[in-house]
Amino acid sequence: MNKFINLLKKEIKEMITLQIVISLLFTTGLFYFIGVIAKSEIEKVAAERDVYIVDLDGSQESGLLTDNLSLAGFKVNLLEERDKSSAIEYANANNIDLLIVIPEGFGEAASQFQFKDIETYTYIRSFSISSSAGTALVEGVIGEINRYLSNNFLKEKFPDIEPENLKNPIKSRDFVIVKGKMAAGSAAEVSSFVYSQSIFVPIILMMIILYSSQMVLSAIALEKQDKTLETLLTVPISRNYIVIAKMVASGLVGLISAGVYMLGFRYYMGSLMGNIPSDGQAGELIQQLGLQFKPNDFILLGISLFLAILCALGLAIILGVLVEDLKSAQTMILPLIFLVMIPYFISMFSDINSLSLPVRVLIMLIPFSHPFIASQNILLGNYDIVFYGIIYMLVVFVVLIVIAGRIFSTDRVLTVKLSFGRKRLAKDY
Amino acid sequence: MDEIILRVENLKKNYGKREALKGISFEVKKGEIFALIGPNGAGKTTTLRIVATLLSFSGGRVEVMGLDLKKEPKRIREEITYLPEEAGAYKNLTGMDYLKFMARFYAADKHEFDEYVERAVEIVGFKDRLKDKVGTYSKGMVRKLLLARALMTKPRLAILDEPTSGLDVINSLEIREIIRSFVQEGTSVLLSSHNMLEIDFLSDRVAIIDKGEILEIGEPEILKQEYSAQNLEEVFRRLVQ
Ligand SMILES: Nc1ncnc2c1ncn2[C@@H]1O[C@H](COP(=O)(O)OP(=O)(O)OP(=O)(O)O)[C@@H](O)[C@H]1O
Ligand SMILES: [Mg+2]
Repeated sequence: MNKFINLLKKEIKEMITLQIVISLLFTTGLFYFIGVIAKSEIEKVAAERDVYIVDLDGSQESGLLTDNLSLAGFKVNLLEERDKSSAIEYANANNIDLLIVIPEGFGEAASQFQFKDIETYTYIRSFSISSSAGTALVEGVIGEINRYLSNNFLKEKFPDIEPENLKNPIKSRDFVIVKGKMAAGSAAEVSSFVYSQSIFVPIILMMIILYSSQMVLSAIALEKQDKTLETLLTVPISRNYIVIAKMVASGLVGLISAGVYMLGFRYYMGSLMGNIPSDGQAGELIQQLGLQFKPNDFILLGISLFLAILCALGLAIILGVLVEDLKSAQTMILPLIFLVMIPYFISMFSDINSLSLPVRVLIMLIPFSHPFIASQNILLGNYDIVFYGIIYMLVVFVVLIVIAGRIFSTDRVLTVKLSFGRKRLAKDY
Repeated sequence: MDEIILRVENLKKNYGKREALKGISFEVKKGEIFALIGPNGAGKTTTLRIVATLLSFSGGRVEVMGLDLKKEPKRIREEITYLPEEAGAYKNLTGMDYLKFMARFYAADKHEFDEYVERAVEIVGFKDRLKDKVGTYSKGMVRKLLLARALMTKPRLAILDEPTSGLDVINSLEIREIIRSFVQEGTSVLLSSHNMLEIDFLSDRVAIIDKGEILEIGEPEILKQEYSAQNLEEVFRRLVQ
């Protein structure tokens, strides 16, 4: 046991190099930085409801209309300019983003229920998130004007009826049913809540898997590149310990890296999506539907995640035997990345159950798919598929570890060479 | 009576179809320095790697201290150390960390551990640089560090593959002296070299090997007399003619 800890310490010391720490901090910092910028842009968009209006009509109707815009929450600024071109010039000179021109005769036409077009001028001064928000602002303003005018019109024609009732005579009452439980609410509400609660699971999972397997693969590649493996293999310690120490160290370092990475990433996502309401109405709805993890569910999910990580590490160890240096290790990690990305994207953007049977079987054969689909299936009460997934991953892991142990206990770990590795070497000289 | 530490009998090794060792036999006695000498590709590294429990072999028998190498590689690893031909140390560890890391695998208790590390420090000879990372060492320093780790535990058999390869004259000399002085303490050495002159004064007995076969075994002085040669290089030339 002492020898094992000795080995483990060395693995960790070798893994946590300055470059790794720097690149990790750099990525985290970068995400944080992007998050800060995105957040300030989004806040700018939310704050900018400034509207500049040139009222060329100057009638009572146009006055009421601008008043109504203020009531609806827009910050209305009336320009003194008396003609269109000087107003445009003025807006240009004063960095005004949105100019609205109410044409002459607007009020008179409106009183006869004939409407004249309102012109809007949006200035694009840069291309960023906030510049595209200009359109939304225009639509908001025009929508508000239309609502105001049509309500007036309806009120005049049908004074006894509430205009909103006339426009939307039927309202719906929405219910959702999940696992036979029913509650009042919309499907969109439920799925966006569940999605927002579980969006981080696949991202974290993917990062831990990729980080750890990258670690274990480079750990073996480095032993070969720095010519330390031969010495290590003659040391009186079980070969299995060597394999396990590498896996444990990689798992630990991968876990920590992913954690640090997530801090930055969370900030980034949080700033993009705003603060997710975790309680309130949606929360109550979720509770009624039983769409919550029970303590046992967390354990199940944890086991599923853990086994997926073990499978990745086992696979990475075997891939590591095939590589000769760090350069080829980077190529060798690609198939693993691919295997993780497929279920990741499918779980993000599609529903596995909606795929055709052969595709579904193929995806289920990838051990990493199971934790990605586990959280959904647990929520929906499909425990069978989660259990089978766990058993399948366990089997895969045992097979991988037996193979890895076999390779390490023979001389193959020293003699196996990938043909492409040798070809490239030959070309280098 | 001389105790036999290593016995190699009719050892054969194939890499695919290529025969690297065609049935070689030799013995290493207790406290002796035994050298395999021969040209590039003769099969020296292959032999040493087999004895170091790294490579499997296709035929014959290897015994270390009476233990069958095929059956008890784990036990044998406790009694041997191996210095590979091209070896490095973990670059991110300091020299001291590396020695301690290795000592922990062999030491039975704290006292032994301290003793090993102390001896290693004595062997390397650059105590002040031991707190620096191995990544900052020169080739000669790394080689000495690795040699120190191979000899610090006083193994029954130290297997040294070209211990002076890639080193300058002074470093080679130092390494040879280290090997000479530490073997007096009861360690047997199996080493290889293609530098036949260096072997001449380093080893007690030599085996001349070429193309996977041992051509001659004996003490350098006696071999030179037998072939009436000035040095081992000439002996080798006579043998392959
Ligand atoms: N991994 C391997 N795969 C295939 N053939 C190999 C391998 N290792 C060695 N050989 C072959 O076995 C033979 C003996 O090689 P070996 O490395 O034992 O020679 P050596 O005496 O140590 O030479 P050198 O002085 O160059 O180190 C050579 O013909 C070599 O090409
Ligand atoms: Mg060699």
